Amino acid sequence: MDETSPPESSKATTSTQKQPPPEPVDAIRTRQLVIFSFWAIILFLGLPTWWKTTSIYRAQLPLQLMEEWADGKQCKPTFPLRIAVEATPGPASVSAPPMAPRILQHLIKNTQHALDDLNDFPIHHIRLLTSELSTTTSSESIDPESEIMIPIPDDIALLMRLIPIGNGQPPSAKLHTYSPVLDVFYSSNMIPTEGSSFTSPLAMFIAKELQSIFTEEQATIAHALSMTSWGAPNKNRPELAESLTKRSTRSFKYAPAYYITFSLFTPTSVPFDWDIEGALEKHITPLLSSLSSISNFTTDSQVQLYAGFTPSIKPEYDADKNSWSLSRDDLSGFINAAEWPLSPNMGAGPTINFILYVPAAHQSPLVVRHNEGGDPSNPDRSNSWLIPQWGGVQILNLHKSSAGVISYLTKDDLESSMRTFSTQLLSLLGLPNSPSSLPMRLSTLTRVHAASLIYSASSTIGALARLTRTLPSIAIPNQVASSVDRSISHLSAACSSLSNGKFASALEEARIAEQEAEKAFFERSMVAQVYFPDEHKAVMYVPLIGTIAVPLVTSAVREIRRWRKGGK
Amino acid sequence: MIFRIFLSLLLLLPLACCSDYHEKLLLRPLPGNALLASFNFRSNATANSFDEQNFRYFPRSFGQILQHAHTKELHLRFSVGRWDAETWGARPWNGAREGGTGVELWAWVEAKSDEEANSRWLTLTNALSGLFCASLNFIDSTRTIRPMKTFEPEGLHPKSMLPNLQLLHGVLPHEVVCTENLTPFVKLLPCKGKAGISSLLDGHKLFDASWQVMSIDVRPICHGDDESNCILEIEQTVDMVLDRERSKRPRDNPIPRPLPMDQIECDVSKPYHAEDSCYPLEKSSEPAWDLAEIFGRHIKGDCPITGDDSMTVCVNTQPERIINVFTNPEDQDFGMKKIPEENLTCFEPPSNGTDFSLSFPEQNMTTPLPLASPRIHAFRSITGYGQERGGIQAIIQNPSSTEPLDVIYLESLPWYMKPYLHTLRSQLSPPSTIQPIKETYYRPALDRRRGTHLELKLHIPPGSSLTLTYDIEKAILRYTEYPPDANRGFDVAPAAIRVLPGPNDAVDEDTRRRGIYVRTTSLLLPLPTPDFSMPYNVIILTSTVMALGFGGIFNILVRRFVAADEVPENKLPLALTALVARFRGRIRQVITKAMGNREKTE
Repeated sequence: MDETSPPESSKATTSTQKQPPPEPVDAIRTRQLVIFSFWAIILFLGLPTWWKTTSIYRAQLPLQLMEEWADGKQCKPTFPLRIAVEATPGPASVSAPPMAPRILQHLIKNTQHALDDLNDFPIHHIRLLTSELSTTTSSESIDPESEIMIPIPDDIALLMRLIPIGNGQPPSAKLHTYSPVLDVFYSSNMIPTEGSSFTSPLAMFIAKELQSIFTEEQATIAHALSMTSWGAPNKNRPELAESLTKRSTRSFKYAPAYYITFSLFTPTSVPFDWDIEGALEKHITPLLSSLSSISNFTTDSQVQLYAGFTPSIKPEYDADKNSWSLSRDDLSGFINAAEWPLSPNMGAGPTINFILYVPAAHQSPLVVRHNEGGDPSNPDRSNSWLIPQWGGVQILNLHKSSAGVISYLTKDDLESSMRTFSTQLLSLLGLPNSPSSLPMRLSTLTRVHAASLIYSASSTIGALARLTRTLPSIAIPNQVASSVDRSISHLSAACSSLSNGKFASALEEARIAEQEAEKAFFERSMVAQVYFPDEHKAVMYVPLIGTIAVPLVTSAVREIRRWRKGGK
Repeated sequence: MIFRIFLSLLLLLPLACCSDYHEKLLLRPLPGNALLASFNFRSNATANSFDEQNFRYFPRSFGQILQHAHTKELHLRFSVGRWDAETWGARPWNGAREGGTGVELWAWVEAKSDEEANSRWLTLTNALSGLFCASLNFIDSTRTIRPMKTFEPEGLHPKSMLPNLQLLHGVLPHEVVCTENLTPFVKLLPCKGKAGISSLLDGHKLFDASWQVMSIDVRPICHGDDESNCILEIEQTVDMVLDRERSKRPRDNPIPRPLPMDQIECDVSKPYHAEDSCYPLEKSSEPAWDLAEIFGRHIKGDCPITGDDSMTVCVNTQPERIINVFTNPEDQDFGMKKIPEENLTCFEPPSNGTDFSLSFPEQNMTTPLPLASPRIHAFRSITGYGQERGGIQAIIQNPSSTEPLDVIYLESLPWYMKPYLHTLRSQLSPPSTIQPIKETYYRPALDRRRGTHLELKLHIPPGSSLTLTYDIEKAILRYTEYPPDANRGFDVAPAAIRVLPGPNDAVDEDTRRRGIYVRTTSLLLPLPTPDFSMPYNVIILTSTVMALGFGGIFNILVRRFVAADEVPENKLPLALTALVARFRGRIRQVITKAMGNREKTE
């Protein structure tokens, strides 16, 4: 300031200015060096240090690849369904020899053509191949009535057995209930002659049969993909689409482990005990063991006395039927969340709740009033309802026995309720209604789950990529990058397993991919940085930078100006 | 004596074999118009049904937490207030169902290594925190210790299990126990406060008590080494001392008011006694009280699943005390049993949700109710002054004139309170040559990682009092480590003292396994507390100082010094005036233009 604005200077403006002696060159040089070294330190030491210490660590993410996954450019899911075809000798009563290998080959080729013509769903590839498993030795004959448990390898979706029967009968097919085996019975005169280019009636029959078995699965997968941005065309009929939407909103998201809680609630003190061990063993355990191929299930149970439904719900007394009835609107508020101890299980995985409610004696029987559109064909289930993605409720009205109050529910008392719970469980897991073979329904579920997991993992990854692009101030720790890498590698493994027809391993890989993607997306340390606003930083820096920057900049400007003047 | 009553209560409950659920309420009037209400609920599950997770009376949410955290035995305490041992005598359950003020938790966790035990302990505290709406998740490594001798497993564990069990202990002295902890506690009971004695539990009265403890104890009882033969017992107790006068205040008019003059007994011998002045006399008679009035509720019948012994409500008074029973509807059947040698009168509430209550009229008693004297007295306080150093003084008294006392003294101190163990002094009064400290276990604190664990085995001769003192240093915390109310001080957990069974203690197995405990009050440690605007002040002040220093040095280095009359003309002020003049002219122009426009339009 002493140089720029001394008070005398303004007075002396008009008088002739006394010039200072010319500055020695080395003094100017020293000053230039001083300013230069200050600037050099600030630019080459200060700024990098500041930049280094205050910058946010952002690990490198394969953004391009992540977005490609989200857009479905990396994976075109296909479901090659391998169907092993086996020629077996006829039943003992017919004693026909198995189909000759050459004819079998021809039939397979023929049927494959017919199938390809019928199939308008490009994602499904039904491939027929000759079976390498020998389920029956040639000498042994087949009993069409019995169902055998045949170990089927993982990559075979269905085993088709061609069984000759007596001449003249129309061909028929039978799907086993407990194993993925389709028996096709044909009369020997239907065997296609070698060399004929026309599709034989038997081939046509088999193709149609196979097509119908996989119709629902195709619809389900088409529906699942149509919800995504991967843009598969949805050719389902609207009413079918609606029922599929209903099913998908009702069912739980896929998890490797589920916990099932059976609860007995009663507003009074009776019944205070039930034979849940026996009932579970009889009705639930067999079902769970067949479901164990897709997930692990753990059951637990509890008895809760003095646990009435939500007090605001008032059942109406129906004098005609001498019963108390709940309206449909009441059902949504029936669960007394405040008082019923229905905390989810502590383990990893969703909890499915099944509630058996025994109404108080003065409010019994308690029934659910159905509208006109109720389901009269199934009166057994009229007292139960399903809560989407949560569980099921069943009201059990006890018959007033002569012995007074029933304090113990036996296995037989629980039978109908347990049946209801089993149906509800299958529905909550999203099991399709057809085909009739349970293993096939399960494998359908595996494929649908694998597809939806692959989709959801890739869309999570895509969301993370978008987030990274839009929020430049968000930190990206190394764990996120490694989770993303793992997720992508598992995704591609899942995708290739799908196209190789190994659906179980595809599901496993997709599940890990989904888990890793979620882990990356919900990384906690990423969020913290977002809430540290830039204004706070400015408040910190202004006192320091303001007072230092002003003299530095003015001196630099003056020196540059002087240098340019001198240069002219 | 009290001890015997608890013992006999225990004997009244048949040892878990036949029915799965028992409950018991013991009421005992205490001197000073206080009333001890001791609730006890027990149920159990067989090991099989527990492993298969088929829960009946054992609460499911609690059971699953235990399974998930591999916890084999657990003790959880929520306490408020102080037991006035000098007036009220010995503690209920010999202090075995008590904890330090706030929350205390200790558990035996099955684990192969320390790390595994720690992670399971973390799971356990976090899950319990959610279940009981308490800050148990704040029990971290700095508040967790592994006591050596203070606690012993109460359950009968299978022998094969014992080597893998690790005891962990955590305290939260700052936790305020309140209604939100009671609600989940009551929900764990099979009758849920809807029937039986639990229908008396009301947060308004419970937390208005002078002293109150809620406890949960889970222990396995195994006979033999066969694990399938085990049962898992859960015991919930609520002990409280209510001020009868205070509890009787109606909820809608809770302000205490003086009694009308005619209801007060005055000492007429006082010279200043007049119509408007009175020296109140201590009432000689037992005052009247009513169970429903004190708790604000009736007992709603019995809990129907209670086992064989349904005499669930017991009153500990002299046998001649008149007790009126109230039922609604009237004249319901109820059971009654007198046990004169233990001064107990027990009742069985009627079934079917009938309201049940007891009332006691005012009565002149000839014999006072005997009170058991406590085995031990303990006090602890902070000494010293200033913000840097201080001291701790603990006084442990042995009131018995004949029996010496062997005790284990346990302190779990926070890391920011650093004891100097070399200053630990023990002094007996009356003076004696006996060295009272027999054994010492000391695990020093690590800053921000673990607290101090000090365990002493002490011997106190009959009729003596032991004074333990040691010095402490107060740490300075980091800015973010202070709680919102930093100037209140920091709570230091109470010391737990266990009385080791003497050779002459003839007690039964269960009582011996539970042990005799006493806890001191918690301490409030004032730490040096900064002014919390400090960091901003520091930043701004430092910046200013740096800027000043920099400016001076920079200017001296860069500026050229000339004579005052040689200073070149400064163009900046001139340029500024010119700029301002131009700007003014511009504005004037605009204004005249605007005026002109308006004139035109007009």
